[in-house]
Amino acid sequence: MTSNYFEIIHAKGHASIQDLGRLNAQHLGFSASGAADEYAFLTANQLISRNLQLDPVKQSSCAAIEITLGQLTLRAQASCTIAITGADCQASINNTVIDNWQCHQLSRGDILAFAMPKSGLHSYLAIKGGFSCQAKQQPWLGSLAQTQNEMPLGFTGNPLTLGSKLYFIAQPASQTPTRQQSVKHDINFYATEQLTLRFMANPLFLKMSARQQQTFFATDYVISADSNRMGYRLKPKAKNITATPAPILSSALRQQCLLSMPVTYGMVQLPANEQPIVLMKERQTMGGYPVLGTVMQTDLFRLSQMRPGANVNFRLINPQQAIQQLLAFYQKFNEL
Amino acid sequence: MTPQLQQLEINPQCRLTLVAENALLLSWCAKVCSAQHQDIINIQHLITEHFGAALISAVASYHCLMLYLPPQLLLSAQTSHIIKQIVSRYYQTKAGSKTNTTANTIQIPVYYDTAQQWDLAEVARRCKMSVEQVIELHTSQHYRGYALGFTPGFCYLASLPESLHLPRRASPRLQVPQGAVAIAEQQCAIYPVASPGGWHIIGQTPLAMYSTQQGQFSATIAVGQNVQFRAISKAEFTALAPGSTQ
Repeated sequence: MTSNYFEIIHAKGHASIQDLGRLNAQHLGFSASGAADEYAFLTANQLISRNLQLDPVKQSSCAAIEITLGQLTLRAQASCTIAITGADCQASINNTVIDNWQCHQLSRGDILAFAMPKSGLHSYLAIKGGFSCQAKQQPWLGSLAQTQNEMPLGFTGNPLTLGSKLYFIAQPASQTPTRQQSVKHDINFYATEQLTLRFMANPLFLKMSARQQQTFFATDYVISADSNRMGYRLKPKAKNITATPAPILSSALRQQCLLSMPVTYGMVQLPANEQPIVLMKERQTMGGYPVLGTVMQTDLFRLSQMRPGANVNFRLINPQQAIQQLLAFYQKFNEL
Repeated sequence: MTPQLQQLEINPQCRLTLVAENALLLSWCAKVCSAQHQDIINIQHLITEHFGAALISAVASYHCLMLYLPPQLLLSAQTSHIIKQIVSRYYQTKAGSKTNTTANTIQIPVYYDTAQQWDLAEVARRCKMSVEQVIELHTSQHYRGYALGFTPGFCYLASLPESLHLPRRASPRLQVPQGAVAIAEQQCAIYPVASPGGWHIIGQTPLAMYSTQQGQFSATIAVGQNVQFRAISKAEFTALAPGSTQ
Protein backbone atom coordinates (compact mmCIF):
# COMPACT_ATOMS: atom_id res chain seq x y z
CA MET A 1 0.00 0.00 0.00
CA THR A 2 1.26 3.43 -0.92
CA SER A 3 1.65 6.01 1.82
CA ASN A 4 2.06 8.83 -0.68
CA TYR A 5 -1.06 10.70 0.24
CA PHE A 6 -2.61 13.44 2.32
CA GLU A 7 -5.55 12.61 4.53
CA ILE A 8 -8.23 15.20 5.15
CA ILE A 9 -8.61 15.46 8.93
CA HIS A 10 -10.93 18.49 9.02
CA ALA A 11 -13.20 19.85 6.26
CA LYS A 12 -15.74 22.62 6.64
CA GLY A 13 -15.59 24.44 3.28
CA HIS A 14 -15.70 22.89 -0.18
CA ALA A 15 -12.73 21.19 -1.81
CA SER A 16 -12.43 19.37 -5.12
CA ILE A 17 -9.83 18.05 -7.55
CA GLN A 18 -9.38 20.37 -10.53
CA ASP A 19 -7.21 20.65 -13.61
CA LEU A 20 -7.72 22.47 -16.91
CA GLY A 21 -11.00 20.62 -17.48
CA ARG A 22 -12.77 18.20 -19.77
CA LEU A 23 -13.38 20.39 -22.81
CA ASN A 24 -13.37 17.54 -25.31
CA ALA A 25 -16.46 15.76 -23.88
CA GLN A 26 -18.97 18.60 -24.14
CA HIS A 27 -20.73 16.91 -27.07
CA LEU A 28 -21.64 14.05 -24.69
CA GLY A 29 -23.14 16.46 -22.17
CA PHE A 30 -20.20 16.62 -19.74
CA SER A 31 -19.46 19.98 -18.19
CA ALA A 32 -16.02 21.34 -19.17
CA SER A 33 -15.39 22.03 -15.46
CA GLY A 34 -11.77 22.70 -14.33
CA ALA A 35 -10.00 25.18 -12.03
CA ALA A 36 -12.13 28.27 -11.36
CA ASP A 37 -9.11 30.59 -11.27
CA GLU A 38 -6.56 29.45 -13.83
CA TYR A 39 -4.18 32.22 -12.81
CA ALA A 40 -3.77 30.84 -9.27
CA PHE A 41 -3.95 27.22 -10.48
CA LEU A 42 -1.24 27.66 -13.13
CA THR A 43 0.95 29.70 -10.77
CA ALA A 44 0.82 26.87 -8.22
CA ASN A 45 1.95 24.35 -10.84
CA GLN A 46 4.60 26.77 -12.12
CA LEU A 47 6.03 27.09 -8.60
CA ILE A 48 6.32 23.30 -8.46
CA SER A 49 7.94 22.96 -11.89
CA ARG A 50 10.48 25.73 -11.17
CA ASN A 51 11.44 24.42 -7.73
CA LEU A 52 11.77 20.81 -8.80
CA GLN A 53 12.99 21.58 -12.32
CA LEU A 54 10.17 19.86 -14.14
CA ASP A 55 8.78 20.36 -17.63
CA PRO A 56 6.50 23.41 -17.12
CA VAL A 57 4.05 22.43 -19.87
CA LYS A 58 3.57 18.93 -18.49
CA GLN A 59 3.17 20.10 -14.89
CA SER A 60 0.76 22.91 -15.89
CA SER A 61 -2.06 20.46 -16.60
CA CYS A 62 -1.57 18.37 -13.43
CA ALA A 63 -4.53 18.25 -11.06
CA ALA A 64 -4.46 20.41 -7.93
CA ILE A 65 -6.81 20.67 -4.96
CA GLU A 66 -9.17 23.64 -5.27
CA ILE A 67 -10.10 24.77 -1.76
CA THR A 68 -13.12 27.07 -1.61
CA LEU A 69 -13.37 29.28 1.49
CA GLY A 70 -10.53 27.43 3.22
CA GLN A 71 -11.29 25.53 6.43
CA LEU A 72 -9.45 22.40 5.34
CA THR A 73 -6.81 20.50 7.32
CA LEU A 74 -4.66 17.72 5.93
CA ARG A 75 -2.02 15.38 7.30
CA ALA A 76 0.91 14.45 5.06
CA GLN A 77 1.59 10.70 5.17
CA ALA A 78 4.86 11.14 3.25
CA SER A 79 7.35 13.96 2.74
CA CYS A 80 6.68 16.15 -0.27
CA THR A 81 7.01 19.61 -1.82
CA ILE A 82 3.78 21.58 -2.20
CA ALA A 83 2.80 24.97 -3.59
CA ILE A 84 -0.06 27.11 -2.32
CA THR A 85 -1.68 30.02 -4.19
CA GLY A 86 -4.97 31.87 -4.57
CA ALA A 87 -7.14 33.23 -1.78
CA ASP A 88 -4.94 33.77 1.31
CA CYS A 89 -6.05 31.20 3.91
CA GLN A 90 -3.28 31.97 6.43
CA ALA A 91 -2.09 28.43 5.76
CA SER A 92 0.05 26.84 8.44
CA ILE A 93 2.34 23.84 8.87
CA ASN A 94 2.07 22.43 12.41
CA ASN A 95 0.51 25.73 13.52
CA THR A 96 3.28 27.94 12.05
CA VAL A 97 1.86 30.31 9.45
CA ILE A 98 3.50 29.98 6.01
CA ASP A 99 3.63 32.30 2.99
CA ASN A 100 1.02 32.13 0.27
CA TRP A 101 2.18 32.00 -3.43
CA GLN A 102 5.19 29.84 -2.38
CA CYS A 103 6.53 26.30 -2.32
CA HIS A 104 6.93 24.53 1.01
CA GLN A 105 8.49 21.28 2.16
CA LEU A 106 6.45 18.88 4.29
CA SER A 107 7.66 15.88 6.28
CA ARG A 108 5.71 12.77 7.09
CA GLY A 109 3.12 13.55 9.78
CA ASP A 110 3.04 17.32 9.19
CA ILE A 111 -0.33 19.02 9.56
CA LEU A 112 -1.21 21.51 6.81
CA ALA A 113 -4.15 23.76 7.74
CA PHE A 114 -6.09 26.32 5.69
CA ALA A 115 -8.19 28.89 7.58
CA MET A 116 -11.11 30.85 6.12
CA PRO A 117 -9.65 33.52 3.78
CA LYS A 118 -10.40 37.19 4.52
CA SER A 119 -10.88 37.88 0.82
CA GLY A 120 -11.13 35.82 -2.35
CA LEU A 121 -12.69 32.38 -2.65
CA HIS A 122 -10.46 29.70 -4.13
CA SER A 123 -7.01 28.52 -3.01
CA TYR A 124 -4.88 25.90 -4.76
CA LEU A 125 -2.66 23.17 -3.39
CA ALA A 126 -0.36 21.73 -6.06
CA ILE A 127 2.19 18.91 -6.09
CA LYS A 128 4.57 17.25 -8.55
CA GLY A 129 2.54 15.09 -10.97
CA GLY A 130 -0.75 16.24 -9.45
CA PHE A 131 -3.28 14.78 -7.02
CA SER A 132 -5.90 12.09 -7.45
CA CYS A 133 -8.48 10.82 -4.98
CA GLN A 134 -7.75 7.16 -5.72
CA ALA A 135 -4.35 5.48 -5.99
CA LYS A 136 -3.37 5.10 -9.67
CA GLN A 137 -6.54 6.87 -10.80
CA GLN A 138 -6.95 7.26 -14.56
CA PRO A 139 -8.30 10.55 -15.91
CA TRP A 140 -11.94 10.38 -17.01
CA LEU A 141 -12.28 11.58 -20.64
CA GLY A 142 -8.96 13.36 -20.41
CA SER A 143 -9.36 15.04 -17.03
CA LEU A 144 -9.52 14.43 -13.28
CA ALA A 145 -11.71 17.53 -12.71
CA GLN A 146 -14.66 16.95 -10.40
CA THR A 147 -18.07 18.43 -11.30
CA GLN A 148 -20.60 18.58 -8.50
CA ASN A 149 -23.61 17.68 -10.68
CA GLU A 150 -21.77 14.71 -12.20
CA MET A 151 -20.51 13.15 -8.97
CA PRO A 152 -23.48 10.66 -8.88
CA LEU A 153 -22.11 9.15 -12.14
CA GLY A 154 -19.05 8.04 -10.18
CA PHE A 155 -16.40 8.61 -12.90
CA THR A 156 -14.15 10.95 -10.89
CA GLY A 157 -14.03 9.36 -7.45
CA ASN A 158 -15.84 10.58 -4.37
CA PRO A 159 -16.41 14.16 -3.22
CA LEU A 160 -13.58 15.29 -0.94
CA THR A 161 -14.56 15.11 2.71
CA LEU A 162 -13.28 14.11 6.15
CA GLY A 163 -11.12 10.97 5.75
CA SER A 164 -10.56 11.39 1.98
CA LYS A 165 -7.09 10.50 0.77
CA LEU A 166 -5.32 12.64 -1.83
CA TYR A 167 -2.67 10.58 -3.60
CA PHE A 168 0.51 11.84 -5.25
CA ILE A 169 3.56 10.22 -6.82
CA ALA A 170 6.51 9.23 -4.63
CA GLN A 171 9.05 12.00 -4.09
CA PRO A 172 12.70 11.29 -3.23
CA ALA A 173 13.56 12.69 0.19
CA SER A 174 16.50 14.61 -1.33
CA GLN A 175 14.15 16.66 -3.45
CA THR A 176 13.88 19.33 -0.77
CA PRO A 177 13.83 22.75 -2.40
CA THR A 178 17.10 24.20 -1.17
CA ARG A 179 16.48 27.72 -2.33
CA GLN A 180 13.15 29.35 -2.89
CA GLN A 181 12.85 29.90 -6.61
CA SER A 182 10.06 32.33 -6.22
CA VAL A 183 7.70 33.03 -9.06
CA LYS A 184 6.88 36.70 -9.12
CA HIS A 185 3.13 36.62 -9.13
CA ASP A 186 1.44 39.73 -10.35
CA ILE A 187 -0.39 41.21 -7.39
CA ASN A 188 -2.20 43.49 -9.81
CA PHE A 189 -3.89 40.56 -11.55
CA TYR A 190 -6.96 40.72 -9.32
CA ALA A 191 -9.41 43.59 -9.01
CA THR A 192 -9.39 45.38 -5.69
CA GLU A 193 -12.92 46.77 -5.75
CA GLN A 194 -15.03 46.95 -8.89
CA LEU A 195 -14.20 44.52 -11.70
CA THR A 196 -14.85 45.55 -15.29
CA LEU A 197 -15.74 42.48 -17.33
CA ARG A 198 -14.56 42.86 -20.90
CA PHE A 199 -17.27 41.50 -23.13
CA MET A 200 -17.52 40.33 -26.76
CA ALA A 201 -20.93 41.15 -28.24
CA ASN A 202 -22.87 38.46 -30.05
CA PRO A 203 -25.44 38.81 -32.88
CA LEU A 204 -28.38 39.25 -30.48
CA PHE A 205 -26.61 42.20 -28.82
CA LEU A 206 -26.31 43.94 -32.18
CA LYS A 207 -30.04 43.68 -32.72
CA MET A 208 -30.63 45.67 -29.53
CA SER A 209 -31.09 49.44 -29.83
CA ALA A 210 -28.11 51.70 -29.09
CA ARG A 211 -29.98 52.89 -26.01
CA GLN A 212 -30.44 49.34 -24.69
CA GLN A 213 -26.77 48.58 -25.32
CA GLN A 214 -25.77 51.73 -23.44
CA THR A 215 -28.04 50.81 -20.53
CA PHE A 216 -26.30 47.43 -20.26
CA PHE A 217 -22.81 49.01 -20.20
CA ALA A 218 -23.87 51.82 -17.84
CA THR A 219 -25.38 49.47 -15.25
CA ASP A 220 -23.40 48.59 -12.15
CA TYR A 221 -24.15 45.03 -11.09
CA VAL A 222 -23.76 43.33 -7.70
CA ILE A 223 -22.77 39.64 -7.42
CA SER A 224 -25.67 37.67 -5.87
CA ALA A 225 -25.34 35.19 -3.03
CA ASP A 226 -26.48 32.29 -5.23
CA SER A 227 -23.37 32.49 -7.42
CA ASN A 228 -21.16 29.39 -7.62
CA ARG A 229 -18.77 27.42 -9.81
CA MET A 230 -21.56 26.96 -12.39
CA GLY A 231 -22.53 30.58 -12.83
CA TYR A 232 -22.35 34.07 -11.39
CA ARG A 233 -25.72 35.75 -10.96
CA LEU A 234 -25.74 39.53 -11.11
CA LYS A 235 -28.32 42.05 -9.92
CA PRO A 236 -28.49 45.68 -11.03
CA LYS A 237 -27.28 47.90 -8.20
CA ALA A 238 -30.20 49.68 -6.53
CA LYS A 239 -30.40 53.31 -7.60
CA ASN A 240 -32.63 56.08 -6.36
CA ILE A 241 -34.89 56.05 -9.35
CA THR A 242 -38.64 55.81 -9.17
CA ALA A 243 -39.46 54.92 -12.76
CA THR A 244 -39.04 51.30 -13.85
CA PRO A 245 -36.24 51.28 -16.42
CA ALA A 246 -36.98 50.07 -19.93
CA PRO A 247 -35.91 46.41 -20.40
CA ILE A 248 -32.48 45.71 -21.85
CA LEU A 249 -33.92 42.98 -24.04
CA SER A 250 -37.28 43.62 -25.72
CA SER A 251 -39.86 40.84 -25.64
CA ALA A 252 -39.71 40.69 -29.45
CA LEU A 253 -36.00 39.82 -29.33
CA ARG A 254 -36.59 37.47 -26.41
CA GLN A 255 -39.10 35.54 -28.56
CA GLN A 256 -36.28 34.78 -31.02
CA CYS A 257 -34.31 32.88 -28.37
CA LEU A 258 -36.63 30.12 -27.19
CA LEU A 259 -34.65 27.07 -28.35
CA SER A 260 -31.86 25.61 -26.20
CA MET A 261 -28.41 26.00 -27.74
CA PRO A 262 -24.80 25.10 -26.85
CA VAL A 263 -23.29 27.58 -24.40
CA THR A 264 -19.71 28.21 -23.41
CA TYR A 265 -17.50 29.69 -20.68
CA GLY A 266 -18.24 33.35 -20.00
CA MET A 267 -21.48 33.62 -21.93
CA VAL A 268 -23.81 36.22 -20.43
CA GLN A 269 -27.39 34.96 -20.29
CA LEU A 270 -30.26 37.31 -19.65
CA PRO A 271 -33.32 35.58 -18.12
CA ALA A 272 -36.69 37.39 -18.09
CA ASN A 273 -35.90 39.05 -14.73
CA GLU A 274 -33.06 40.93 -16.55
CA GLN A 275 -30.50 39.72 -14.00
CA PRO A 276 -27.53 38.48 -16.03
CA ILE A 277 -25.92 35.10 -15.40
CA VAL A 278 -22.25 34.73 -16.35
CA LEU A 279 -21.51 31.07 -17.12
CA MET A 280 -18.48 29.77 -15.21
CA LYS A 281 -16.37 26.56 -15.27
CA GLU A 282 -19.05 24.11 -14.12
CA ARG A 283 -21.65 25.39 -16.62
CA GLN A 284 -23.89 22.93 -18.37
CA THR A 285 -23.26 22.42 -22.07
CA MET A 286 -26.72 23.67 -23.19
CA GLY A 287 -28.64 26.77 -22.21
CA GLY A 288 -32.12 28.09 -22.88
CA TYR A 289 -31.82 31.79 -22.00
CA PRO A 290 -30.96 34.57 -24.47
CA VAL A 291 -27.18 35.20 -24.67
CA LEU A 292 -25.92 38.79 -25.08
CA GLY A 293 -22.22 37.99 -25.50
CA THR A 294 -19.19 36.47 -23.82
CA VAL A 295 -16.83 37.75 -21.11
CA MET A 296 -13.15 37.22 -21.99
CA GLN A 297 -11.54 34.32 -20.13
CA THR A 298 -8.80 36.21 -18.29
CA ASP A 299 -11.51 38.38 -16.69
CA LEU A 300 -13.45 35.24 -15.72
CA PHE A 301 -10.44 34.00 -13.72
CA ARG A 302 -10.57 37.32 -11.83
CA LEU A 303 -14.35 37.12 -11.42
CA SER A 304 -14.13 33.60 -9.95
CA GLN A 305 -12.34 35.01 -6.88
CA MET A 306 -14.98 37.69 -6.22
CA ARG A 307 -17.53 37.23 -3.49
CA PRO A 308 -21.25 38.01 -3.39
CA GLY A 309 -21.80 41.72 -2.75
CA ALA A 310 -18.87 42.83 -4.94
CA ASN A 311 -19.56 45.11 -7.93
CA VAL A 312 -18.98 44.44 -11.60
CA ASN A 313 -19.78 46.18 -14.87
CA PHE A 314 -19.32 45.35 -18.55
CA ARG A 315 -17.19 46.96 -21.24
CA LEU A 316 -16.77 46.05 -24.90
CA ILE A 317 -13.72 44.28 -26.25
CA ASN A 318 -12.98 43.12 -29.76
CA PRO A 319 -12.66 39.28 -30.01
CA GLN A 320 -9.17 39.43 -31.54
CA GLN A 321 -7.88 41.40 -28.56
CA ALA A 322 -9.40 38.84 -26.19
CA ILE A 323 -7.68 35.97 -28.05
CA GLN A 324 -4.32 37.79 -27.99
CA GLN A 325 -4.61 38.44 -24.26
CA LEU A 326 -5.45 34.81 -23.53
CA LEU A 327 -2.52 33.53 -25.61
CA ALA A 328 -0.16 35.98 -23.85
CA PHE A 329 -1.56 34.79 -20.50
CA TYR A 330 -0.78 31.12 -21.27
CA GLN A 331 2.61 31.96 -22.78
CA LYS A 332 3.83 33.20 -19.36
CA PHE A 333 3.16 29.77 -17.85
CA ASN A 334 4.89 27.80 -20.59
CA GLU A 335 8.27 29.46 -20.02
CA LEU A 336 10.91 27.86 -17.85
CA MET B 1 -16.38 51.84 -29.28
CA THR B 2 -19.14 50.23 -31.29
CA PRO B 3 -19.80 46.50 -30.96
CA GLN B 4 -17.93 44.49 -33.57
CA LEU B 5 -18.76 41.02 -34.64
CA GLN B 6 -16.48 38.63 -36.36
CA GLN B 7 -19.10 37.06 -38.51
CA LEU B 8 -19.44 35.38 -41.90
CA GLU B 9 -22.69 34.93 -43.79
CA ILE B 10 -22.25 31.51 -45.37
CA ASN B 11 -25.64 31.41 -47.05
CA PRO B 12 -29.08 32.85 -46.25
CA GLN B 13 -29.70 30.08 -43.71
CA CYS B 14 -26.35 29.80 -42.01
CA ARG B 15 -23.82 32.16 -40.46
CA LEU B 16 -20.57 31.70 -38.56
CA THR B 17 -19.72 33.85 -35.52
CA LEU B 18 -16.68 33.98 -33.27
CA VAL B 19 -18.31 33.75 -29.82
CA ALA B 20 -15.33 33.15 -27.52
CA GLU B 21 -11.52 32.91 -27.59
CA ASN B 22 -11.88 29.19 -28.34
CA ALA B 23 -15.31 28.88 -29.93
CA LEU B 24 -17.02 29.49 -33.26
CA LEU B 25 -20.77 29.14 -33.54
CA LEU B 26 -22.54 28.06 -36.72
CA SER B 27 -26.21 29.05 -36.46
CA TRP B 28 -29.25 28.37 -38.59
CA CYS B 29 -32.93 29.44 -38.40
CA ALA B 30 -34.30 28.93 -34.88
CA LYS B 31 -36.70 26.09 -35.62
CA VAL B 32 -37.23 22.41 -34.81
CA CYS B 33 -36.76 20.81 -38.24
CA SER B 34 -35.34 17.35 -38.85
CA ALA B 35 -34.04 18.20 -42.36
CA GLN B 36 -32.13 21.25 -41.12
CA HIS B 37 -30.87 19.25 -38.14
CA GLN B 38 -29.63 16.48 -40.46
CA ASP B 39 -27.64 19.13 -42.38
CA ILE B 40 -26.12 20.28 -39.07
CA ILE B 41 -25.05 16.73 -38.17
CA ASN B 42 -23.64 16.09 -41.65
CA ILE B 43 -21.65 19.32 -41.45
CA GLN B 44 -20.48 18.37 -37.95
CA HIS B 45 -19.03 15.13 -39.41
CA LEU B 46 -17.31 16.97 -42.28
CA ILE B 47 -15.75 19.55 -39.93
CA THR B 48 -14.66 16.86 -37.45
CA GLU B 49 -13.07 14.94 -40.33
CA HIS B 50 -11.26 18.03 -41.62
CA PHE B 51 -9.82 19.29 -38.33
CA GLY B 52 -9.13 15.92 -36.69
CA ALA B 53 -7.45 16.23 -33.29
CA ALA B 54 -7.29 20.04 -33.56
CA LEU B 55 -11.04 20.19 -32.98
CA ILE B 56 -11.56 20.12 -29.20
CA SER B 57 -15.30 19.41 -29.36
CA ALA B 58 -18.29 20.03 -31.66
CA VAL B 59 -21.68 20.37 -29.97
CA ALA B 60 -24.85 20.22 -32.09
CA SER B 61 -28.34 21.34 -31.10
CA TYR B 62 -31.66 22.24 -32.81
CA HIS B 63 -30.24 25.12 -34.83
CA CYS B 64 -26.60 25.54 -33.78
CA LEU B 65 -23.24 23.86 -33.99
CA MET B 66 -20.63 25.05 -31.48
CA LEU B 67 -17.04 24.39 -32.57
CA TYR B 68 -14.36 24.47 -29.88
CA LEU B 69 -10.92 25.12 -31.35
CA PRO B 70 -7.56 26.23 -29.90
CA PRO B 71 -7.33 30.06 -29.65
CA GLN B 72 -4.23 30.02 -31.92
CA LEU B 73 -6.40 28.75 -34.79
CA LEU B 74 -8.93 31.56 -34.26
CA LEU B 75 -6.38 34.39 -34.43
CA SER B 76 -6.51 34.49 -38.21
CA ALA B 77 -9.61 34.57 -40.36
CA GLN B 78 -8.36 31.50 -42.21
CA THR B 79 -10.10 28.98 -39.95
CA SER B 80 -13.44 30.71 -40.55
CA HIS B 81 -12.86 30.61 -44.29
CA ILE B 82 -12.10 26.88 -44.21
CA ILE B 83 -15.34 26.26 -42.29
CA LYS B 84 -17.25 28.46 -44.71
CA GLN B 85 -15.88 26.42 -47.59
CA ILE B 86 -16.84 23.11 -45.97
CA VAL B 87 -20.40 24.33 -45.37
CA SER B 88 -20.79 25.88 -48.83
CA ARG B 89 -19.47 22.79 -50.55
CA TYR B 90 -21.83 20.62 -48.49
CA TYR B 91 -24.86 22.58 -49.70
CA GLN B 92 -23.61 22.53 -53.31
CA THR B 93 -23.15 18.75 -53.41
CA LYS B 94 -26.36 18.20 -51.50
CA ALA B 95 -28.34 20.14 -54.14
CA GLY B 96 -27.29 17.64 -56.79
CA SER B 97 -27.83 14.45 -54.82
CA LYS B 98 -30.50 12.68 -52.86
CA THR B 99 -30.10 13.05 -49.11
CA ASN B 100 -29.86 9.96 -47.04
CA THR B 101 -31.60 10.26 -43.68
CA THR B 102 -32.41 6.67 -42.81
CA ALA B 103 -31.40 6.70 -39.16
CA ASN B 104 -32.41 3.65 -37.15
CA THR B 105 -35.13 3.93 -34.50
CA ILE B 106 -34.51 3.06 -30.87
CA GLN B 107 -37.41 1.73 -28.78
CA ILE B 108 -37.62 3.01 -25.21
CA PRO B 109 -39.75 0.91 -22.83
CA VAL B 110 -41.69 3.12 -20.41
CA TYR B 111 -43.72 2.25 -17.35
CA TYR B 112 -46.46 4.91 -17.20
CA ASP B 113 -47.33 4.55 -13.54
CA THR B 114 -50.73 6.03 -12.81
CA ALA B 115 -50.43 5.26 -9.09
CA GLN B 116 -47.11 7.09 -8.58
CA GLN B 117 -47.02 10.63 -7.23
CA TRP B 118 -45.35 12.02 -10.37
CA ASP B 119 -47.09 14.23 -12.94
CA LEU B 120 -48.99 11.88 -15.27
CA ALA B 121 -52.43 12.58 -13.77
CA GLU B 122 -51.77 16.31 -13.63
CA VAL B 123 -50.55 16.40 -17.23
CA ALA B 124 -53.77 14.62 -18.29
CA ARG B 125 -55.89 17.10 -16.35
CA ARG B 126 -54.06 20.15 -17.71
CA CYS B 127 -54.20 18.82 -21.28
CA LYS B 128 -57.91 18.00 -20.81
CA MET B 129 -57.66 14.32 -21.64
CA SER B 130 -57.52 10.94 -19.90
CA VAL B 131 -54.29 9.35 -18.65
CA GLU B 132 -54.74 6.64 -21.32
CA GLN B 133 -54.94 9.30 -24.03
CA VAL B 134 -51.69 10.88 -22.78
CA ILE B 135 -49.96 7.46 -23.00
CA GLU B 136 -51.50 6.79 -26.41
CA LEU B 137 -50.36 10.19 -27.74
CA HIS B 138 -46.89 9.92 -26.24
CA THR B 139 -46.23 6.44 -27.65
CA SER B 140 -47.72 7.10 -31.10
CA GLN B 141 -45.24 9.84 -31.98
CA HIS B 142 -41.78 9.41 -33.58
CA TYR B 143 -39.16 11.63 -31.95
CA ARG B 144 -35.70 12.74 -32.98
CA GLY B 145 -32.66 13.32 -30.75
CA TYR B 146 -31.68 16.96 -31.33
CA ALA B 147 -29.00 17.60 -28.72
CA LEU B 148 -27.11 16.03 -25.82
CA GLY B 149 -26.63 18.22 -22.80
CA PHE B 150 -27.88 19.32 -19.39
CA THR B 151 -26.28 16.19 -17.89
CA PRO B 152 -24.23 13.45 -19.63
CA GLY B 153 -26.51 11.27 -21.75
CA PHE B 154 -29.53 13.62 -21.47
CA CYS B 155 -30.92 13.85 -25.01
CA TYR B 156 -33.40 16.55 -26.04
CA LEU B 157 -36.15 14.85 -28.09
CA ALA B 158 -38.73 16.57 -30.29
CA SER B 159 -41.44 17.10 -31.19
CA LEU B 160 -44.10 16.21 -28.69
CA PRO B 161 -47.71 16.16 -30.05
CA GLU B 162 -49.02 19.70 -29.73
CA SER B 163 -51.88 18.76 -27.41
CA LEU B 164 -49.28 17.72 -24.79
CA HIS B 165 -47.33 21.00 -24.80
CA LEU B 166 -47.05 22.43 -21.28
CA PRO B 167 -44.67 25.06 -19.87
CA ARG B 168 -41.99 23.85 -17.43
CA ARG B 169 -42.99 23.37 -13.80
CA ALA B 170 -43.10 26.67 -11.90
CA SER B 171 -40.33 25.44 -9.60
CA PRO B 172 -38.00 22.56 -10.44
CA ARG B 173 -37.94 19.38 -8.33
CA LEU B 174 -34.78 18.88 -6.28
CA GLN B 175 -34.69 15.20 -7.18
CA VAL B 176 -36.01 13.46 -10.27
CA PRO B 177 -35.43 9.66 -10.37
CA GLN B 178 -33.06 7.93 -12.76
CA GLY B 179 -34.86 6.99 -15.98
CA ALA B 180 -37.66 9.56 -15.51
CA VAL B 181 -39.40 10.25 -18.83
CA ALA B 182 -40.37 13.90 -18.81
CA ILE B 183 -41.97 16.51 -21.05
CA ALA B 184 -41.81 20.31 -21.36
CA GLU B 185 -43.07 22.56 -24.17
CA GLN B 186 -42.44 20.67 -27.43
CA GLN B 187 -39.66 18.55 -25.92
CA CYS B 188 -39.35 15.18 -24.24
CA ALA B 189 -36.31 13.67 -22.45
CA ILE B 190 -35.10 10.95 -20.11
CA TYR B 191 -33.05 11.77 -17.00
CA PRO B 192 -29.94 9.49 -17.11
CA VAL B 193 -29.26 9.83 -13.36
CA ALA B 194 -31.19 11.19 -10.41
CA SER B 195 -30.86 14.99 -10.62
CA PRO B 196 -32.85 18.18 -10.12
CA GLY B 197 -35.35 18.77 -12.92
CA GLY B 198 -38.15 21.12 -13.95
CA TRP B 199 -39.98 19.00 -16.52
CA HIS B 200 -43.23 17.03 -16.02
CA ILE B 201 -42.55 13.36 -15.27
CA ILE B 202 -44.99 11.03 -17.03
CA GLY B 203 -43.19 7.70 -16.71
CA GLN B 204 -39.96 5.86 -16.06
CA THR B 205 -37.74 3.65 -18.22
CA PRO B 206 -35.61 0.77 -16.89
CA LEU B 207 -33.22 1.28 -19.82
CA ALA B 208 -29.79 2.78 -18.98
CA MET B 209 -29.25 6.05 -20.83
CA TYR B 210 -25.51 5.56 -21.20
CA SER B 211 -22.83 2.88 -21.10
CA THR B 212 -19.10 2.96 -20.58
CA GLN B 213 -16.47 0.73 -22.05
CA GLN B 214 -12.69 1.06 -21.70
CA GLY B 215 -12.88 4.64 -20.50
CA GLN B 216 -15.28 5.68 -23.27
CA PHE B 217 -18.78 7.02 -22.69
CA SER B 218 -21.61 6.41 -25.08
CA ALA B 219 -25.10 7.82 -24.81
CA THR B 220 -27.92 5.36 -25.49
CA ILE B 221 -29.70 7.92 -27.68
CA ALA B 222 -27.41 9.57 -30.22
CA VAL B 223 -27.99 13.03 -31.65
CA GLY B 224 -29.84 12.52 -34.93
CA GLN B 225 -31.35 9.20 -33.88
CA ASN B 226 -35.09 8.43 -34.06
CA VAL B 227 -36.86 7.42 -30.87
CA GLN B 228 -40.15 5.77 -30.07
CA PHE B 229 -41.66 4.98 -26.66
CA ARG B 230 -43.40 1.70 -25.83
CA ALA B 231 -45.64 1.23 -22.78
CA ILE B 232 -44.68 -1.65 -20.45
CA SER B 233 -46.24 -3.13 -17.33
CA LYS B 234 -44.88 -2.83 -13.80
CA ALA B 235 -43.73 -6.48 -13.96
CA GLU B 236 -41.76 -5.80 -17.16
CA PHE B 237 -40.27 -2.66 -15.60
CA THR B 238 -39.11 -4.61 -12.54
CA ALA B 239 -37.68 -7.40 -14.70
CA LEU B 240 -35.76 -4.97 -16.93
CA ALA B 241 -34.59 -2.63 -14.17
CA PRO B 242 -30.83 -2.62 -13.45
CA GLY B 243 -29.96 -4.88 -10.54
CA SER B 244 -32.98 -7.11 -11.22
CA THR B 245 -32.33 -10.75 -10.42
CA GLN B 246 -34.72 -12.05 -13.08
